[in-house]
Amino acid sequence: MSMLATVALLLALAPAQKAALPFIEDDYGRALAEARARNLPLFIEAWAPW
Amino acid sequence: MKAFVFTDESLRAEAGRFVWLAIDTDKEQNAPVQAKYPIDAWPTFLVVDPKDERVAMRWVGGATVGQLKKILDDGRLAVAGSPQGAVAAAPIDADSAFNRAEAHYAARDFGAAGKAYQEALRLSAPDWPRYARTVESLLFALARADDCATSVEVARGALPRLRETPSIMTVASTGLSCALASPATDPARVETIALFEKAAREAIANRSVRTAADDRSGVYAVLLDARKDAKDEAGAGKVAAEWARFLEDEAAGSATPEARAVFDSHRLSVYIEMGEPQRAIPMLQAAERDFPKDYNPPARLAVAYKEMKRWDEALAAADRAIALAYGPRLLRILGTRAEILLAKGDKAGARATLAKALAAAEGMPPGQRSDRTIAAVRKRLEGLD
Repeated sequence: MSMLATVALLLALAPAQKAALPFIEDDYGRALAEARARNLPLFIEAWAPW
Repeated sequence: MKAFVFTDESLRAEAGRFVWLAIDTDKEQNAPVQAKYPIDAWPTFLVVDPKDERVAMRWVGGATVGQLKKILDDGRLAVAGSPQGAVAAAPIDADSAFNRAEAHYAARDFGAAGKAYQEALRLSAPDWPRYARTVESLLFALARADDCATSVEVARGALPRLRETPSIMTVASTGLSCALASPATDPARVETIALFEKAAREAIANRSVRTAADDRSGVYAVLLDARKDAKDEAGAGKVAAEWARFLEDEAAGSATPEARAVFDSHRLSVYIEMGEPQRAIPMLQAAERDFPKDYNPPARLAVAYKEMKRWDEALAAADRAIALAYGPRLLRILGTRAEILLAKGDKAGARATLAKALAAAEGMPPGQRSDRTIAAVRKRLEGLD
């Protein structure tokens, strides 16, 4: 991923980071890309609304 | 977890240590993720190494904030470590055996995981800090292997040590549940049930143990099964009434409508057990007003009205739920709709609804499609002929 794309990705995520844990909802590709860009493990909560 | 744990301010320090992803497994768009990472129970937490998309750690079931912090610590270590090496190496101490078990558990090899967790327990010192986590994961691995006899023994051994921890809810309820599943010919059955029933009672009475209210509620459910198993109608009624009071108190003390609605499904279950489904109607109507896009309130209203034999209101609620539902849960609501129509005497309508459910089940994408569900719906449909 280019630096520009990484920055764009991080900026796009910025508002969500106000929450205690900044969950990305239902977007595995985006979360994986961010985890690779930031060299962080990916935490996945698999849940269902019932 | 969303309403009570992930919102806890003390978790803010963890925010920058992971990338956080929530996957609603009922959504069709997430089916490929579920095909990649199969889920055995809800919720499940995975820590994934983004380099190779390997599951480094798996946790099945809810967790308190304290448990989650430990899970996160272990998850980070698992990503940093070498799982293949951990699997290959012969365990020489409890931690090595634990790491080996965790690698098998992450890969959903529950048989091998169970053996390695047992080895870790055997090698562990009395103050081993991973004891509680090991017992909980071992009990789940044994459940996946349908090994209730070993679960009873593991739970029996863990009772004294975990009595003052959140894990006591899982240990007592799993032990009791497995004791109840033991054959009537088992000479130790009555004594084992009594042991775990006492432990379960003590667990829910011990308010000094901080645990999720829905875990405590789950213990009531098994206690109710125990009284039913003993054919103790008065005792079952007493447990149900106590359970309902507990849930009502928890709901009344909830800070948000989301937190309050967490208890709706358990409350509906206990009201039905008590033969008083009408008690669920006001809370479910409130939830439907609060969450107009959520299929759960009308789906639960359909069940409550069905129990009350108010067929037209049940049908209307089911139709409202179906309009909002998606994924595997849609099949269950269609099943409820078919039961309502059948009770009304509309066999053709029930058949048409089940045919729709079968088509929906067969059309599910990999990751959501279940051959067992398809067979069950087909059997119900054939039963109407």
